[in-house]
Amino acid sequence: MEPIKAIDVKIFPHRRLKPGTSEKILNELLELEGAIRFLVNGESLPNIVGYGPARGTSVNHPDRKIITVKGKKVELLVSVGEIVVTIKQENLEEFVAETKNILEKILNFGFDVKIGLFTRTKTTVSDYLKLDYGIEENFDPSLVGMVDPKTNSKETVKLIR
Amino acid sequence: MSYKPQYTPGETKIAQNRRNHMDPDFEMKKIRNINDEDIVSVLGHRNPGENYKTVHPPLDEMDFDEDLMKELVDPIPGAKQGTRTRYIQFADSMYNAPAHPYDRARTYMSRFRGVDTGTLSGRQVIEIRELDLEKISKTLLETEFFDPAKTGLRGATVHGHSLRLDENGLMFDALQRYVYNEKTGRVSYIKDQVGRPLDAPVDVGEPMDEEHLKEITTIYRSDNVGIREDKEALEAVLTIHESRTDGGYGLGVFKNDLKAKLGDDK
Repeated sequence: MEPIKAIDVKIFPHRRLKPGTSEKILNELLELEGAIRFLVNGESLPNIVGYGPARGTSVNHPDRKIITVKGKKVELLVSVGEIVVTIKQENLEEFVAETKNILEKILNFGFDVKIGLFTRTKTTVSDYLKLDYGIEENFDPSLVGMVDPKTNSKETVKLIR
Repeated sequence: MSYKPQYTPGETKIAQNRRNHMDPDFEMKKIRNINDEDIVSVLGHRNPGENYKTVHPPLDEMDFDEDLMKELVDPIPGAKQGTRTRYIQFADSMYNAPAHPYDRARTYMSRFRGVDTGTLSGRQVIEIRELDLEKISKTLLETEFFDPAKTGLRGATVHGHSLRLDENGLMFDALQRYVYNEKTGRVSYIKDQVGRPLDAPVDVGEPMDEEHLKEITTIYRSDNVGIREDKEALEAVLTIHESRTDGGYGLGVFKNDLKAKLGDDK
């Protein structure tokens, strides 16, 4: 595979984002040039109560919603805490400036935008194990660093375009 | 011996707030009204209107061997009636919640009788006879001990005290027991403290203003009042730390002891 020059931009708002706000930000960011992939990270929201006397009942968390990103429906599995965007090296400066503008427009609280490597860059043992145990078929190398080692990439990765 | 308890050291408003919490004679400001029945339903130990379940007959009807201690100590009402021991548990956000686990432990011990408390990093449980628990819960929920946004009433799945707040200023709760109404600006509980849905939501009022919380909080924070700004509190902590270390290792004590054993003490 041909190596590409890319780097991560981490957006760290000072408050956890509501689904509506995340949707707005993601849609605006997708309009920008050079973004390769988005990693929406945060505290996981359960569908059903896992333990305690209420075990088995549904949670109905208002933050676990289906949002529409560029016309595609995506289910948010987390309470959004950070968004990591992998960006082509040549578009970096413009992207960061635009991102700051977008965030200032949408958010009414503080945020940090950091540049660096926030995702894995090498295939790991767990990635190979997934192939070996048949959990995943045809592992896509561009997903390295995005998929939780314990989950199937089909559940957590959505192809928008 | 009679003495006036000092409760906790410190010369800042944070230390004063801690002393106010712990002082049983200090009356905490009551800021909201919650029905007794609503408190019972949020606690989730019995249905509102249901009788208290008991674990032993009333103390008056029981035969005991003669015991001086039983005559000296007056039992609390719940113990007299023999009701079950039940709990209420709070999680306090690090973002200037009015109370925090250690403060709660000390407060419970100095304000209430017959309690057993458990302190953990993110939550604080109080266990007491059910009859008394409901009275205590009322005090804890109606006064400035409680803020609807920064304090959570959580029996299980408590995680969230150290996370960022959400856009409305609410602490993270994976089970979302309480919801913020954006139109009215009020918070209401839609589940009991362990996450079982309630028949009717329980309104707990508006979240407190962030500036006001900075005034009444008991948490030292560098963006409000840092612990290093409180010379007296720091000095007390350091003194205790030093004495514990010296005492624990037996510095200056074992050394002489060892010398004596080696015959080196002459």
